[in-house]
Amino acid sequence: MNPFFLLLGPPIVSALLALAVTPYRAIVGWVNAGLSLLPVLAALILWSHLLAGEVVTAGPSEFFRADALSTLLVLCVSVVGALAAWLGPGLGADDGYDARQARRFRVFANLFAFTMLFAVTTNNVGFMWIAVEATTITSAVLIPLHVSKASVEASWKYILIGSVGIALAFAGTVLAYFDFVNVAGRHEAALNWTVLMAAAPSLHPDVVGLAFVFLLIGYGTKAGLAPMHTWLPDAHSEAPAPLSAMMSGVLLAVALYALIRWEAVVQAAVGSAFTDRLLLALGLLSLAIAAFSLLAQRNYKRLLAYSSVEHTGLMCVGLGLGPLGAFATMLHLVNHTLVKSALFFLSGRVLRRYHSTEIARVTGLLRTLPWTGGLFAAGALAIAGLPPFGLFISEFALVRAGVAAGRPWTVALVLGLLAVAFIGVVGHVNRMLYGAPSPGVGAGEGSLWPLVPLGLCLAIVVVLGLTIPAPLERLLVQAAEIAGK
Amino acid sequence: MNDAFSQLSVLGSSLMLIFGLILLWRRGLTAYINALAAQSVVLAAVAAVVAHFGPARELYWVALLLFLIKAVAIPKLLRDMKRRFGTERELEPYVNTATSLVIAGLLVLLGYAIMRPLVAVSRLPTRVAMPLAMGLVLVSLFVVISRKKALTQVVGFLMLENGIALLAVLGTYGIPLIVELGVFLDALLGFIVMQIFVYQIHETFETIDVEHLNRLRH
Repeated sequence: MNPFFLLLGPPIVSALLALAVTPYRAIVGWVNAGLSLLPVLAALILWSHLLAGEVVTAGPSEFFRADALSTLLVLCVSVVGALAAWLGPGLGADDGYDARQARRFRVFANLFAFTMLFAVTTNNVGFMWIAVEATTITSAVLIPLHVSKASVEASWKYILIGSVGIALAFAGTVLAYFDFVNVAGRHEAALNWTVLMAAAPSLHPDVVGLAFVFLLIGYGTKAGLAPMHTWLPDAHSEAPAPLSAMMSGVLLAVALYALIRWEAVVQAAVGSAFTDRLLLALGLLSLAIAAFSLLAQRNYKRLLAYSSVEHTGLMCVGLGLGPLGAFATMLHLVNHTLVKSALFFLSGRVLRRYHSTEIARVTGLLRTLPWTGGLFAAGALAIAGLPPFGLFISEFALVRAGVAAGRPWTVALVLGLLAVAFIGVVGHVNRMLYGAPSPGVGAGEGSLWPLVPLGLCLAIVVVLGLTIPAPLERLLVQAAEIAGK
Repeated sequence: MNDAFSQLSVLGSSLMLIFGLILLWRRGLTAYINALAAQSVVLAAVAAVVAHFGPARELYWVALLLFLIKAVAIPKLLRDMKRRFGTERELEPYVNTATSLVIAGLLVLLGYAIMRPLVAVSRLPTRVAMPLAMGLVLVSLFVVISRKKALTQVVGFLMLENGIALLAVLGTYGIPLIVELGVFLDALLGFIVMQIFVYQIHETFETIDVEHLNRLRH
């Protein structure tokens, strides 16, 4: 069977099923959970094709195309999508959501997963844009799943800033297409990434450079790069935990993916000095703003959201540091996806027990929820960049790339800001773990099985900190090559 | 013939920009909605003109869709919302009218400055109008940033989309039709979701003044 069918079909089927069955029944959720494993299977099939040296394509003029970069993203999105389907609302047990909320979650979370998977597999940059825009719509609807002033405000900010940002990305796409038409004439598959890439050396540097500025601002807004990040802490902290996990874990990576695709084209047209400078500037700014915001946080979900800004900034810096930096970015992307999604799911469990997202109100986490708290502590140490977790290795690789690229000041700045972020994250989480539990908060975990997949995510990150398996290394190397190095 | 083509495109783009400026000096929502509808009609007309003179006949379809969605359907939905929210007016925007107009003038100049390389490399008769489209994009962006009412922000965003659509029509005679259709679908869905949120803001905050959306800080 065509792997793209296996990849994109199940989310649509699940969404339609949830839409068709009213009132909502738990069986819909379980079918959804089962179907959510198929995209993961499809991702593995695409990966195995890639290891055999074959890029899978489908549709007229290679509409779908899964090279190494696409496959890497497909892998991340499908895994987090499956986690959200298994741990999301509506699987029977009393999980704090009513039937209507569960139904809405099942419909839109699946559409959200579909739009992300579509965005990273289509070869057409126009459709990539459409899909990324659609991610805003499908995810914004889910943020006020519990209607409150804060969640309505967060979703308004998100849809407005996200839509404006993505409209600017469209302007950038039009400008780049303008130059392509100017040079090569109107063309059937002109918006195909492969065609653009082949034509890139003959494009006008001025025009493509201008297009890139628009694309960087546009997709950068979705990726949460400062100074366009202002919607992100609100949206990620007010959303229900499974949606936060999808948004922080993979939506940011999908936006970064769009940016990488265009960066490769622009680099071939203008040269890498131009794109590197812009990426480094925005990356460092994001890192700086996030690091100091982490210190000042009073809310643990916002803490996690700002940590996402920090890590996106870090990946952006990596993209500006030559081939070694690109490799570090790819590795970091995988690590961050696993850790951050796990942390957001865990934060959902903490919130259910303490009924508050304030750090000051959560004390004695290790006593009330020993397993959740333990995993939360491990995840926090991981995003802070401690060994033996994989993020230590990818950050170390990034620093080495900076030294190799001859940018000692950038490296010094990155290290300084990472230290600030470390103090922020570890200091705040530390206060949550110990002390006496607040009165009225009972001890003891509920059901333990949801912790198994989350523990597995963290275990994989530990493995990635010790060694990078050969198949994954080949995937990462090829993906880094596509990033235009 | 090319001369007429070029002049018509400049005329259309100038009109669109002027309708965009109405957002800065009028205060009532009705005026905004009418300006948006008129601007969308002009956009559809420009697309039809380009379809007539240029090589891309499928732009007639784009013109028709633009007319139906942007000039008829969305203004109608906006008027329904206005009826519901009554007399919420943009009384005190973050930037006052005089300053806003000066900034808008500078933004149009900026549009000319950043579009210089594009106008230089293009050979299309429509190229002279492209800086006006960029001017409209920048002015609409400014409207979204500087206005407080959620509905004004929505109108500003729709005008931003119009500006980009104009840029696509003038610069490339439209992006491929199939992509254009997807863009329309997205624009419509996005608008409907925004509309839902405006209702939700109204219900939970009992106003659509986004200044009250200030619970989330840091």
